[in-house]
Amino acid sequence: MRNPVMVGERVYLRPAEVSDAETDARWDAEEDETFMYRGRQPVSPIAMALDIAGWYKKQPPEWVEFAVCLVVDDTLIGHVGTDDIDWVNRTGETGSYLAPGYRGQGYGPEAKHLLLEYCFDVIQLHVLMSTVAATNTRSAAALGKQGYRRAGRMRRNDVKGGVYRDMDVFDVLRPDWLAARDQWRATQI
Amino acid sequence: MRVTYLAGKRVYLRAMVEADKDVGIAWWPAPFPVNAARAEEWLKEEHKNFYTKRTRRYVIVRVADDAVVGGVALQDHDHRRGTVVFHMAPVLAEADLLRADALRLVVPWVRDDLELMVLTLICAADETETLAAARELGMEESVRLREFVARPGGRVDRVFMEMLNTPWRVEAADEAQAETEAPHA
Repeated sequence: MRNPVMVGERVYLRPAEVSDAETDARWDAEEDETFMYRGRQPVSPIAMALDIAGWYKKQPPEWVEFAVCLVVDDTLIGHVGTDDIDWVNRTGETGSYLAPGYRGQGYGPEAKHLLLEYCFDVIQLHVLMSTVAATNTRSAAALGKQGYRRAGRMRRNDVKGGVYRDMDVFDVLRPDWLAARDQWRATQI
Repeated sequence: MRVTYLAGKRVYLRAMVEADKDVGIAWWPAPFPVNAARAEEWLKEEHKNFYTKRTRRYVIVRVADDAVVGGVALQDHDHRRGTVVFHMAPVLAEADLLRADALRLVVPWVRDDLELMVLTLICAADETETLAAARELGMEESVRLREFVARPGGRVDRVFMEMLNTPWRVEAADEAQAETEAPHA
């Protein structure tokens, strides 16, 4: 494992490196899903590299981003992170992305549980939120399995298919997450 | 430099000016201290490329004594959705009342002048005057994030209050022209 921060059975989290930029750009180029985006956009690896180069400059950071890698061979398979960290109120907004080809195989939940463990038990955040397009039932169900509860709905938040769409907002406290992780672990045995 | 359309009985809103550097604590959008030198630097930085900025900041001024009592940030997403967040001066007994008054100026402006389709106010559940003003202005609670705000000895929820403006509709230029000319026909 290379520079690991949080380690699970099959995946681990490490800081993203500038050398990940080519892979990130390739994922954007090969994206086959459209349901979760306003629209796909190719991104230059140059832009990605410049972006990643600045990610860890500010300490404490306003957000934390991790690369998700396979324990077995260090392959980079996605990203998880927490945005908008408020160090006074101890809150943040989580997000995750798995590359095409690695979805639906259980890597996402494991990576997300590692992220939540980092947020609650390492940097001691109190509560986290996440947002999902109201039409994206797949991601909403995934959040539910990590202990998130629906906190409300922001109406006319974005446009998709020529229609203004709502955005659902979720929150999760540490006890919610611990219960969800226990449940998830029981299914892994 | 009072803005005629953003003036109420107790407070008015105005664009920030250089002299605001001396009262940074009143409007600085964080609970950390800021001195005049840092506030001046921030004001200059914040007002570079002002017209392309997504977030615009104004100060809230008390009518009675022209004292800056807070700041307001209006985030504009695609000129369609707006988010408004207030920061009030730390030593201010009537902060909630003055914030409520400022909201009474912001909402009609955003709705009727800027014509944003959606406006979201983000506040804490214990800001009761502000929440009452929001309801009185036709805003509805859309999101409640549990225990999202730290308070001395405890936590309160964060509340999103939402105002939906009349939905936009598409109109071809010649239709609009025809409508404009109709009364004169």
